[in-house]
This record gives sequence, C-alpha cells and structure tokens, in this order.
Amino acid sequence: MTGARRGQAGVLLALHVLLGVYSLSDVASKKASGTTFLSPEFVLLYAVVLGLLAIYAIGWQQVIKRMPLSSAYANRAVTVVWGIFWGYVVFGEAVSVGKLVGAALIICGVVLFARADRDDATPAGGDEGASS
Amino acid sequence: MTSELGHAIVLLVSVFVSAISQVMLKKAALRTYPNHVAEYLNPLVIVAYVLFVGCTLLTILAYQGIPLSLGPVLEATSYLYVTVFGVTIFHEHVGREKLLALALIVIGIVVFATLG
Repeated sequence: MTGARRGQAGVLLALHVLLGVYSLSDVASKKASGTTFLSPEFVLLYAVVLGLLAIYAIGWQQVIKRMPLSSAYANRAVTVVWGIFWGYVVFGEAVSVGKLVGAALIICGVVLFARADRDDATPAGGDEGASS
Repeated sequence: MTSELGHAIVLLVSVFVSAISQVMLKKAALRTYPNHVAEYLNPLVIVAYVLFVGCTLLTILAYQGIPLSLGPVLEATSYLYVTVFGVTIFHEHVGREKLLALALIVIGIVVFATLG
C-alpha cells in the first residue's frame, strides 16, 4: 500500500468515526426528548448534542479538505444505518423488512446523488460541464 | 393527524431550516471581509448559527414523537433542498442522474416511513 493510499484510507476511517459521532448526537437528542425542557438532565444532554455537533463540524471541515466533497457526502448515507442500529440497541426499536428496504433505497439514492455531483463537477469534454 | 406524523413534520421543518442556514453560511463564505472578526461576526453568519441552534431544539421536540431510526431517514430530504437551492440560488446544473437519485431517496423515505 502506498503512502498516499494509506493516507486516503486514514481520511475515510476518520470520516466514518466522525459520522459515528454525528449519529451519537441523534441518540443524545432522542434521550433529551424524554426529559423535561431546561431540567438539569435536559441541559446536560443538550450540551452533549451541541458538543458532538461541534466536533463533527470541525472534523468535517478537515475531511473535505482531504477528500472530494461528493465522496464525503456519499459516505454520509451510513447515518441511516447508524439510526437503525442505535434505535435497536439503545431504544429497543424494531427492525423490519420495510425499514431495511427503505434504508437501502435511500443509500442507493445518496450514493447516486454524490456520483452525479462528481460528474457535474468534472467537465469531461462535451457541453455538460460547460453549462454549469 | 397522528402524533407521529406531526412530529415527523417538525423534523422536516428542522431539516429545511438547517439547509437554509447552510446556504446562508455558503453565501457568507463567498464574500470578502476586511478582517477575521468580520468574517464570523456579521449578520448573515450570526443568523445562520441562531437558526442552526433552533434546529437542534426542533429536532429534540420531534424526537418526542418519532423513533430514532426515522431521524436520519427524514434528514435525507436535505438532498432535495440542496438541489433546489443549488439551482435557484447558485444556478447549478441538475442532470438526469441526479433527478433519479432524488427519486430513489424520496421513494426510500416513503417506504421506510410507511412500511417500516
């Protein structure tokens, strides 16, 4: 494996750690939704939400400096899977065939969206790229 | 209207407002500023962050009535808004592939929400 490749793998891994952090902010939001607004428990959980989002935002800026934005967006689709996973593990939500099929369609859509974005961004001759 | 549908709509509003705040930040980033302080302390950036904080509270409100797993699914509507803003505000081009992608996302959300 070359150094550049190892670097790319590292960025991809960092991105997925960040997306995991992002998914945890949703877990904290859901936990906060079960508390009384402005109670100490709420304030603590809300601070966790904002803290995790801040880590995510700072990390995201660093990641998109090192990989194409469209690839970063394509990987973001994984948050749908994290939602199903944390929903099941932390809140005992059911996992159904309908949820999995819906999630698979969304992931395909997001990956295709990011691919289309990449194609739009790199004019490979013809008048497609020139028009944007 | 069921409680779950109402809470889902609250989350959809939150995702939409969040997309607006992103557009404001992008608009702000395209401008030139006399110094670093002005880059952050200007009305556009401040309002964008206020909107964003409001969205985090709306999200918590929404989660009172919807399962966690539905959150990231409804958040995928942001791709729709990003595309609409891209076309209307930043005059970006939308190809057939992107329209197909958006259709898949919307169908996926409907399948998840109705059959899930």
